[in-house]
Amino acid sequence: MTLDPVTLEILGTRFSSTVEEMGLSLQRTARTLYVKEAADFGTALAGLDGRFFAYPNGVGVCSFIDLDCRRIIEAVPDLQPGDVIVSNHPYESGGAVTHTPDLTLIEPYFHDGRIVAYGWTFVHSSDIGGRVPSSISPSSTELIHEGLLLPPIRLVSQYQTVPEILSVILANTRTPEDVEGDINAMRAALSIGRRRVAEIIEKFGVDSFLAGQREIIAYSRSKARAVFRKIPDGTYSFADYLDDDGVSRVPIRLHIAMTVRDGEIELDFSATDPQSDSPYNIAAEGRRHPWLTLRLAAFAYTLDPTIPLNTGLFDSITIKAPSGTIVSPQYPAPVGIRHVTAQRVYETLNGAMSQALPEVMPACNGGVLIPVVLAEPQAADGSRNVVIVEPVVGGMGGRLGADGVDGRDCSIANLANNPLESLEASAAVRVIRYGLRADSGGPGQWRGGVGLELEFEVLKDGCSILGRGMDRFCFAPWGRHGGHPGALAETIVNRGRAGERHIGKIDVVPLSKGDIMTIRTPGGGGYGDPRARCYDLIERDIDKGLVSQEQAASVYAVVLDSGQIDRAASEALRKSLPCGDEPNRDDRDPVRSAWDSLLEGEAGDALTRLWQAVAIPQRSTAKRQVFGAALNGASTPNWSASDLPTLEMQAVERALVAEVEKLLGARR
Amino acid sequence: MVMSVAQQQGFRVGIDVGGTFTDIVFGDLKTGTLFNYKEPSTPDDPSRGVMSGLRAAMERFEIAPSAVLAIVHGTTIGLNAVLQRKGAKLALVVSKGNRDILEIARGSMPSPYDMYAQKDVPLVPRNLVFECGARGGPDGATVAFPEAEEIEALAARLRDAEVESVAVVILHSYANRTLERELIGALSARLPGLEFTASSDVWPEMREYERALVACLNAFIVPLKRRYFERLESGLRSLGIDSPILISTSNGGCISVAAARDRPIETILSGPASGVVAASGLALTLPNRNAVTVDMGGTSADMSVCEDGRPHTTTATHIGEFPLVTPVVGVSAIGAGGGSILWVDSEGLLKVGPESAGADPGPVCFGRGGDRPTLTDCYVALGFIDPDHFLGGRMSLDRDAAHDALRDIGRRLGFSGPDASERAASAGVRIATAKMAGELLKGLARQGADPRDYVLVPYGGAGPTNAAFLAEEARIRRIAVPQAPGLFCALGALTSDLRRDFVRSLPKRLSDNLGKPIAEIFAELAASGSDWLSQERIADADRTLRFSLDMRYRGQAYDIEVVAPQEVALSGDVARILEQFHDEHLSVHGFSDRSAPTEFCNLRVVAVGHTDKPPASRAAAVDSPPEPIRRPCYLADGWTEAIVHQRADLATGRVVQGPAVLEQDDTTVVVPPGWQVEVAEQGHLDIVRKGSS
Repeated sequence: MTLDPVTLEILGTRFSSTVEEMGLSLQRTARTLYVKEAADFGTALAGLDGRFFAYPNGVGVCSFIDLDCRRIIEAVPDLQPGDVIVSNHPYESGGAVTHTPDLTLIEPYFHDGRIVAYGWTFVHSSDIGGRVPSSISPSSTELIHEGLLLPPIRLVSQYQTVPEILSVILANTRTPEDVEGDINAMRAALSIGRRRVAEIIEKFGVDSFLAGQREIIAYSRSKARAVFRKIPDGTYSFADYLDDDGVSRVPIRLHIAMTVRDGEIELDFSATDPQSDSPYNIAAEGRRHPWLTLRLAAFAYTLDPTIPLNTGLFDSITIKAPSGTIVSPQYPAPVGIRHVTAQRVYETLNGAMSQALPEVMPACNGGVLIPVVLAEPQAADGSRNVVIVEPVVGGMGGRLGADGVDGRDCSIANLANNPLESLEASAAVRVIRYGLRADSGGPGQWRGGVGLELEFEVLKDGCSILGRGMDRFCFAPWGRHGGHPGALAETIVNRGRAGERHIGKIDVVPLSKGDIMTIRTPGGGGYGDPRARCYDLIERDIDKGLVSQEQAASVYAVVLDSGQIDRAASEALRKSLPCGDEPNRDDRDPVRSAWDSLLEGEAGDALTRLWQAVAIPQRSTAKRQVFGAALNGASTPNWSASDLPTLEMQAVERALVAEVEKLLGARR
Repeated sequence: MVMSVAQQQGFRVGIDVGGTFTDIVFGDLKTGTLFNYKEPSTPDDPSRGVMSGLRAAMERFEIAPSAVLAIVHGTTIGLNAVLQRKGAKLALVVSKGNRDILEIARGSMPSPYDMYAQKDVPLVPRNLVFECGARGGPDGATVAFPEAEEIEALAARLRDAEVESVAVVILHSYANRTLERELIGALSARLPGLEFTASSDVWPEMREYERALVACLNAFIVPLKRRYFERLESGLRSLGIDSPILISTSNGGCISVAAARDRPIETILSGPASGVVAASGLALTLPNRNAVTVDMGGTSADMSVCEDGRPHTTTATHIGEFPLVTPVVGVSAIGAGGGSILWVDSEGLLKVGPESAGADPGPVCFGRGGDRPTLTDCYVALGFIDPDHFLGGRMSLDRDAAHDALRDIGRRLGFSGPDASERAASAGVRIATAKMAGELLKGLARQGADPRDYVLVPYGGAGPTNAAFLAEEARIRRIAVPQAPGLFCALGALTSDLRRDFVRSLPKRLSDNLGKPIAEIFAELAASGSDWLSQERIADADRTLRFSLDMRYRGQAYDIEVVAPQEVALSGDVARILEQFHDEHLSVHGFSDRSAPTEFCNLRVVAVGHTDKPPASRAAAVDSPPEPIRRPCYLADGWTEAIVHQRADLATGRVVQGPAVLEQDDTTVVVPPGWQVEVAEQGHLDIVRKGSS
């Protein structure tokens, strides 16, 4: 049947208010801190194919609109009214669960003895077992390290909890009360969904309800497609990097070739690096997955904010990702900190899109999301105070007509920070500075947003600082169209004092009473030539202290006279400067250029041959092996990806090809 | 001498200044009779409209200025100044290292999906934020305080900045209020004439960004509010009114004009709060005293919840893009108003709003140049509103024009036939109603409330017209339409009590004995509340102090408010407070954990001075009501004959079955088939779904 436009509009409204009501109920009653603090939970309604036809706007996480629950549903046959499936298994769920703490519940909704929809909900639980409290650690190397694994099974059978299943779950978490509370809250949310679905069917009839699901998806598809048609046909490629693979100092390369034809988009990840032994993997199984398409979703929603949030938004997108890449890993690759990779995929896709739409897309965002965690020494009773000092992010990229946002970045999550007064009341720290980081925004006609600086003194001995998800110490957030990159991240212990240490990416840093820790996040990339930036904006930046007089003079090419811009002299200076041989040069980052040129040449071809020859589980070891041998010391802690430009590139390329051949030869 | 107003005779006057009209209600404290007057607003200086309206109303109702015993005035001047950024030129003084307090805010962006989203523009630009070496610790200690030399330099910078008003926000000042006071003392001695706002004076709560916003918002509107109140006072005196002047507050109460001059931030959201206060007064007379209110005016509809006759207050609201943590009556937007425009999108779906035709050009039927149909046009086309008797006949509407515009919408939706415009109108009402119902259910879900336990109280011009459709959609079974729904905010001002909130955050103490500091702070807060009530000349018998604590399980990010009996609060009885916290947590969040460590955050006292209110007046008996007329209304997808009454003609106890339309000067009440209306004892209309009462 086809619905009239009035009924469809009303159904669309009812669908979205239902999933938002479910989410609000969950938020109010869930137990886990992540729900209340970071809104790390979700609710949705899925159709018979397991894809969402209704997703909340602004209640819970914003990034999971395009999850596919089909594998979870298919895994549990003969569903009855009142059954609820549970799973937290990233692989067995077919990517519908993205890491183990995300405890996911699905309930079939029945009408007249047949399933008409599914309710979906998840909560990022405080702990689901595994090696470390909270289950996620950057040093886990197998999925099994990351906690109890629940393939899709019945947790509730015809409204009755299956006690054996619940007892196994509760016996495998360090926080059983929280997890049980979360499960109850999720079940309450699912029952609200069940009630509202029944009411909708009572009022509109089951045929309209089912037709409404299909048609609201088709409506979003059509609206999104209209936006995607604004991308000119063609193929656009881009690569970005993670500083290292978590096990060695060899970077991870993400590469996307985006092909667009009449609003249909293919994202090809074939040239992306193999899966990692660290939990950077995104278990997307080579299929379309929200973590891989987020930038396109933001693009569509920005250009048409009236698109209903459902899977139709993504229907014009297909994914190509051969098994074994970091975005299509094989079990048992760990996935705990997949958001770090997701963030970089987001930027890589942004890079590809900005080639197609140079005047629409911004330069690169700061691209980090780091919860800086302080662990105080263990108390006599064995307890240990662990608090988030601040979740820090970088600045956002500049774009045609607007500077990037300073000190905030919501690209993959929109987190709130921690008031300094609450922090100091609950942890042994005193914050010396929590502010914007001057001169860190990528210079450009439209400046990249500046990053943050967080500096604090530790007031107790025996503390340690953890910085999960740190990156951008080697590869700067790139500028566009002559815009410069944003500043790299920095971490410093005892800045400006005896024993000052720049410590780079940190896992755990022990600190004593009186030590001062400084964390500086990257700025966003700039857009356009900084020498074309208008004087008013430069003056405003100097006034506000976001750009120093030195940077204004050297990069923005202005002549300053006792703090004021001498416009006539500046104009003359700017005219006298050579235009530059590449006015549209996009990348002023020598590290990125070096890696791009190395991996896009013969060495890249050799590596491709290597992946083809080596079984998936051995690829990351093989990668470390050849880089370690070819790049003198790449496997030692003192080396970093930033060192590549200092080497003789042709020699490196030859060495890398030779090492690949050597390894391949040994295998033959 | 403090004297109770309870025995006095005369009038209490409520005044609400809206965008289009200034509403004035005189309440006779002896008989309860209400006299209503509408005067066009004068946005350039709202006090002019207030004066001319008062003068005209007193003349018409023959009320002498000396019979006015109190004036309660709600104003949106402060709110508009913030929304339009037309307040004072402002500087902010902060602790060292904290200069970006407004730039970073709470770190999140207004829209996670919009890649072009910009962050809020701070009230104080970064170059007017000055750091100084004053700082406290979480235990209330003074960690640093600047030497005279640094203060001198800071004063010089403030002088050079040429600002009118300065907010001062020092880290941990909530636990050590002398820090900001001493700093301001030293600065104001050097900078006479400059306005200073200390964050710990206006709102001494932990969380520096939120406290800074309260201080900055206050500092931003202090100068213009001061000027406005001066004009208001002198205007009233020139009319011969020398009664106390009270200003409505965002928490649903009112304060004296003197208090409002120093802390205008307390009045910033007074408009919507007043309407809810009136609704809560009505809710108190209903069987289960739970009401969900819907104020549907020209541009939008707002909802709020009253539980047990008390408006729900929140400490998480927004002024434009800024969060506000002072307690305010919880009001949230739920969708379209009468002026919301119907349109068909590129994919052929019908949409209502968010664009509104407002008052100018207004709906098509107003004949003022509006050419896109609005919800009001739908009501006219469907026969709900009589085009010849809109606003009691003060304005005549062009029904044909509404039909033409709606027919065009109908055509784009594929409707044909003689009733294409009615079908389009009916679709518009259904879509707007579905959206409102969805938002209403979400608003109730936030508080874990079940719509079936609530009575819908609709007000504003369009509220009662759309109420039954909304109730049907949200599965609410009962509606209570107040007597004068179009003047409800002025009535709310008139019936509000004096009320102020006081807060202190508990400094972090290492000792286990929390009882002592809790008792001490509560005693301090109670003294502040009592002092204030004495200043406001409220008799002991008319005073209430309400004590509460914000508490959480350790590690939680959100508090819940635990109300403590006075003796428990003042004796710092921690055991009983904890007991109550666990119970409250169970009822709010569905679980409690008596073994888990708890934390105390804020201590609060609400001081209330009860004011005299006009008694409820019953509908007058009507000797020989005229015969009702009938007119066709398009209800339930077809024309049907509805019975039409003038509300004034209906005596108490009179029952009318739907389909019916009840007309009154300020609104039109629609009673669809399947519903019935009864004129209640208390004066409101009691509308119930048949078979569900």
